[in-house]
Amino acid sequence: MADDRTFLMGKFAAHLPGTLRYARNHMWCRENAGQLRFGFTAYAIRLMQDVYFLEWHLSDGAAVELMQQIGHIETSKAVSDLFAPSTGVISQFNPELLKDPSAINVDGYGEGWLFEMQAPAPPLLSVDEYYQFLDQYWEKTQRMIKGKINTED
Amino acid sequence: MSRHRLTVVLSQAQGKNPAKRALEESITAALLMEPGLDVSIIPYLYDLHPEHTGRLFLESIKGDMVVLSWLYPRAAFWLLDRDGIKGHQGESQLKSANAEQEDEDDDENGADESPRGIGAVEVPERHIYCLDLRDHNSHLPYVEEVKRIAAECRDRRAAAGHGNASFVQLGTTLLAENGTQAPAPAATFAPEQLLAQPGRRWYPVIDYSRCTNCMECLDFCLFGVYGVDKLDRITVENQDSCKRGCPACSRVCPEHAIMFPDYKTPAIAGAPVGNISGLKIDLTRLFGGGDAMTMAAQERDRELVKEGREAVGLTVGIPKRQATKPAAPKDDLDNLMDALDALDI
Repeated sequence: MADDRTFLMGKFAAHLPGTLRYARNHMWCRENAGQLRFGFTAYAIRLMQDVYFLEWHLSDGAAVELMQQIGHIETSKAVSDLFAPSTGVISQFNPELLKDPSAINVDGYGEGWLFEMQAPAPPLLSVDEYYQFLDQYWEKTQRMIKGKINTED
Repeated sequence: MSRHRLTVVLSQAQGKNPAKRALEESITAALLMEPGLDVSIIPYLYDLHPEHTGRLFLESIKGDMVVLSWLYPRAAFWLLDRDGIKGHQGESQLKSANAEQEDEDDDENGADESPRGIGAVEVPERHIYCLDLRDHNSHLPYVEEVKRIAAECRDRRAAAGHGNASFVQLGTTLLAENGTQAPAPAATFAPEQLLAQPGRRWYPVIDYSRCTNCMECLDFCLFGVYGVDKLDRITVENQDSCKRGCPACSRVCPEHAIMFPDYKTPAIAGAPVGNISGLKIDLTRLFGGGDAMTMAAQERDRELVKEGREAVGLTVGIPKRQATKPAAPKDDLDNLMDALDALDI
């Protein structure tokens, strides 16, 4: 089993459990009895801060395509559309979050899970791969953010 | 001296939200008590079609004007500009209730007059101030700001030697020189005409302070929304050919000059450029929204298919250079970085 990793966002340490797999849209994935449970990584939560509203455009049992838009989130710092991390069927959305989304902030890797899916071949990364993914894009994102580069990739 | 009157136009919200109506009514009631102001109410600005009485009324106003609406000021200003209701952009000092410490942040104003953009043309010598009704829940800040603007307009007029304010009100200024008919003084319309509810509309609004006339929107849009005017400037020619809910061309615009005032994402709806306070970061692209161009192509395809046409994906009207553009608009990223800085991480 892979070791946990910690990705440093400046001074903030985003904890990445080694037991999980990760999607490129900053969701973690835990497999349990054929169900893939997804939630936001500490990296995503740090960018968003406190979740105010969480909204899904679909119901339990909906079939989705990879990167299909499935919902919307509003937090103290951000808004974002949310996208399916894999092609598959969403078995259920976390019903507790629809009453109170604060579990995402309190226990992002546990009670704050978002939904469960059945997906035959989810495109997921190992913790080390996700760490590299963050590392690679964190630098680049910051450079882009500062407007230092405009066109080169 | 005090013959100059400032026209204040309040544009109502869509729908019948009681909180919004209450704010509108308390602002109107307070302003009616103020001397030197002409106060009128019109429906939601964005929805006014060319024949709507509210629009005719706006066109008849020739002097300085304050427009209070449920729109970002940038969107409201350029929306008026597109409709021929032109003026210099008056600078509001109204701050959003969520934005406390942005006094030192003057970038926003600089961005408004970005030399990159082609700017407006045929701008008459008057100022239009646009205030966002979403900034405050109380009428007081708006009333104070309108009074401040009224004083500012008076001072400006006095400084320019326009002691006789009715000169501008009569509309005998620049417009007449161009051979267009000298318009009549601000017309009077019955309130029920002014307030006739228009149907909802959906169309892009170009911020010419940012637009460089690159024509990429013209190439991209396959619904004939864009055209060029007699000066070869890009223009939203057929507003109502636009597809409701589709903001694709605004994602394609390299200068982020295209606004959809009713779109949910602030950056597309015309939120102040480079102003993070009170504005949320859009993390959509980080969370898998794909790059702007892919999203735009998907949105366009959806509308093409709805019309029974073929989806074209990324094969038509996609600028080559966009292939290597950063995934997110710079404004969003600027905001993101500012927010990250603020987090002290």
